[in-house]
Amino acid sequence: MAKDIVAVIGAAQTKFKTHYADKTYIELAQDAAKLAMDEAGVTPDEIDAVVFSMAPTQFMGVNDCDRWATSHVWGAGKPYMRIHAGGATGGSALQAGYVHIASGVYRTVLVVGADRVAETPDAQHILNLIWDRFYEHDFALNTVTMTALAAQRYMARYGATEEQFARVVVRGRKNAMGNPYAHLKGAITVDDVMNSPRVAYPYKRFDICPRSSGAAAVVLSNLDVAKQKCARPAFVNGVSAITHSVFMGDRMGVYSETEFADHDGEHIAAYEAYRQAGITDPASQIQVAELYDPFSTFQFPIVEGLGFCGRGRAAAISDEGGWDMVGGQVAVNPSGGTLCTNPIGVTGLVRIVDAANQIMGKAGQNQLPGVHNAVATAAGGSTQFFTVTMLGDDHVAPRTNV
Amino acid sequence: MSAAAAIDDVIHGEWHVRYNYSVGKVAGHFFEGLKQKKILASFAPSSGIAYLPPRAYCERSFEPCDGWVEAGHQGIIEAATIVTAAFENLPPPPYAIAYVRLDNVSTALVNFVRGLDLSDVPAAASKLKPGTKVKVVFKDTPEGRITDFHYELAE
Amino acid sequence: MDVFVIGQAVHKPAARIGDKRLEELVFDTTHAALADAGVKRAQIDHVTIAGCDELDGRSISSMLLAAPAGAQLRDEMKCTDSGLTGLCLEAMRLEAEIFDLGLLVSWSKPSTAPLEDVMRMRCEPFYTRPVGLNMAITDGLFAQAAGAKYGFDEFDADEAVLDSYRRAGRNPRGMGHAVPHVEAIATSPYVATPLRQAHQAPITDGAVAMVVASARWLKSNPRAKPLARVSGIGWRNEEYDLGADRLAGLSGFRATLDDALKMAGVKSTADLDLLELDSQTGFHELAYRAVLNGHAPKAISTSGGAFAQNPYFCTGLINAAEAILQLSDQAGPIQIPGAKRAVAHGSHGFAQQGNVAVVLERV
Repeated sequence: MAKDIVAVIGAAQTKFKTHYADKTYIELAQDAAKLAMDEAGVTPDEIDAVVFSMAPTQFMGVNDCDRWATSHVWGAGKPYMRIHAGGATGGSALQAGYVHIASGVYRTVLVVGADRVAETPDAQHILNLIWDRFYEHDFALNTVTMTALAAQRYMARYGATEEQFARVVVRGRKNAMGNPYAHLKGAITVDDVMNSPRVAYPYKRFDICPRSSGAAAVVLSNLDVAKQKCARPAFVNGVSAITHSVFMGDRMGVYSETEFADHDGEHIAAYEAYRQAGITDPASQIQVAELYDPFSTFQFPIVEGLGFCGRGRAAAISDEGGWDMVGGQVAVNPSGGTLCTNPIGVTGLVRIVDAANQIMGKAGQNQLPGVHNAVATAAGGSTQFFTVTMLGDDHVAPRTNV
Repeated sequence: MSAAAAIDDVIHGEWHVRYNYSVGKVAGHFFEGLKQKKILASFAPSSGIAYLPPRAYCERSFEPCDGWVEAGHQGIIEAATIVTAAFENLPPPPYAIAYVRLDNVSTALVNFVRGLDLSDVPAAASKLKPGTKVKVVFKDTPEGRITDFHYELAE
Repeated sequence: MDVFVIGQAVHKPAARIGDKRLEELVFDTTHAALADAGVKRAQIDHVTIAGCDELDGRSISSMLLAAPAGAQLRDEMKCTDSGLTGLCLEAMRLEAEIFDLGLLVSWSKPSTAPLEDVMRMRCEPFYTRPVGLNMAITDGLFAQAAGAKYGFDEFDADEAVLDSYRRAGRNPRGMGHAVPHVEAIATSPYVATPLRQAHQAPITDGAVAMVVASARWLKSNPRAKPLARVSGIGWRNEEYDLGADRLAGLSGFRATLDDALKMAGVKSTADLDLLELDSQTGFHELAYRAVLNGHAPKAISTSGGAFAQNPYFCTGLINAAEAILQLSDQAGPIQIPGAKRAVAHGSHGFAQQGNVAVVLERV
């Protein structure tokens, strides 16, 4: 139980698209910072510290680009640090912002970032360079092939089919139609997915997220500031992360502690976040899940790991509409999720923005009624970094022994 | 300036940085082994785990891996995929890769799977399911690189 | 703030650590810190990493290095600013009372890639990259601006460098660089006027790890002996764009020290037994001392600072490790008898865009 209660009092994102020809990287980050501060009703002077969310800089092409952005996000002269955990960056940056406040060190923190994944045509080349130069770099590993490996293993374990994954894509694109910020959206069919060009078995092009550009930001505060500024904050009630070894081959087979196909680091992190948040029955207590699912095959192992259903059950429940935005047992990715929008350095933060806005009643056309608890996840590296953040409309009981 | 003019200008840039990655003694021993067509796994007596790629230390016990075991030239697939799209700076498709756990070793090591007809992708993928037996095939003149060998289906 | 360092290890520095893969450098250092603390990795409930992809030559360097830093199946977080920023983050993570025992690990192996080319790519592509800025060039700009403001010149810098090498020479944990003749410093080639080659602290490879505990953990583990208490933390960034005020104002340096001292309840830098500065050049040493004028700590950079070893990015955290040795009477021939309170300073970015300070106290 943390020392100080932490709340999201403002959360915002820009529109996401492949290219932002009319803005530079730092202008994009600035847009999100401004939007979030406006949402929170705070001025830059009221921000005590800034956490910058940015994954590998090779996509946008300026080393340590957080330094370039310092003044634009009103960070100059302030405590300022950058968090980087690959795809899990946004989730980890939010959790870093959380400890700034939960520790009692600061009262109000801006967590902000931007990415421009399509600034280079060499994105998957860069995502190959993340692999170890000696042992794994040569084998055409990138985020597509790596997750295809896990998906093929998941299919073999639980019998999920390509068509069942395709249904996840159809649902995501449909949900995204109500999200003005989403990159890919629209009414498509299972056949459209199945007939898109094959990339790496079992993936077709539509099973894979786009390369997105855009920015996101969140204003976090302690309870006192939240009471002054926000009628309905989204309290950060649980934060947890799990890191695995980079070597995927260590996470398979009879000698492994964990199962690569199950994304089970996410499961461990989720149950720690639930413990902090007082969640004992996730399927009934959580109304919204914003998942980091850049590939159609991520959703099933993740919702299973989050405890919404048993292992191997998610595909069948998906077929029956169990993860639908309206009428499902848990609304999974009402925003359309990462499959529709993936600005890597801030994707985890976008999940927080979407989940927090559902709690704060600011999710626009996709707003769901009665959202008391929402979970936001992120994943990165060789699907080795996992973060889980629990948001709620009420805070957990404050510590009594302060 | 015309209000309707689309803003779509770029400044081109490229970044080539040379790197010299230190190999160290563990990887050095492994690559020397490859030159003799041996795949050497580091072994942690503290946990009984044999690692490929070889590790200087055991992630579970957090103690040094101070032993070596020679991996068998047969193993089973733990995960595999067939890459059918072209990526810049990667091999021309199609090709198959797999994580294979070799005999005597606790963890799986990735490499290419060759000698498989990839013209029908779902059919080929069904031959690469987890549990499938594969064998190691070395180049005639290994150079001490991970690409000195590849996998082929055992049967 | 009540956070305790209970064990630490600093890898033996070298201009190039060529006999180890980066992974081994990190594991060996982390393993040694755990041994120093007398705890097992199994007891660690979280890990904080400070690392820089671009310097490591890897797109997400913590992918490979998280596990050797002890983070396998642990809650791990990484910042990319500097090693000492990592200590600030780690201190907040413990102070938030969700964890009890952590590892903080930072490394830098600049010999892997041409450092100044990596730094050049920190320039944004429109205004500065076509002209070309890097560490040395921005330090040259800083040297000129700070010299004009505080009234020192390159001859003063020659003397400051000489003095730093003398202190570094007494530190058995440093590189043991020969103390150069002042004439050799004064005639070394200009890199970016008024900065000469010999004014720059030589870059080295290195790594540092600390085991850090909460007050709660110490209470339930009474046999553990803390080496020092972290009582205050501060870190600030300044603008990216360089103007005379930004270069010579040193507002980040001042504010960072103020933040950390205030949190620790210390009135003035004059109340410190030691301040270990991250001075990348002789000009930096002069400028920082000018700011401290009238409130100087009892000792400054006893370890020799960056002139003892300078794994750029980790240097500030090495300063913290040196300060911790002083506060636990382990500093050997450079021990300051009875040292009670010290500040470690770190800097990062072009012309120290970022400054970090940590107050450490004897337990």
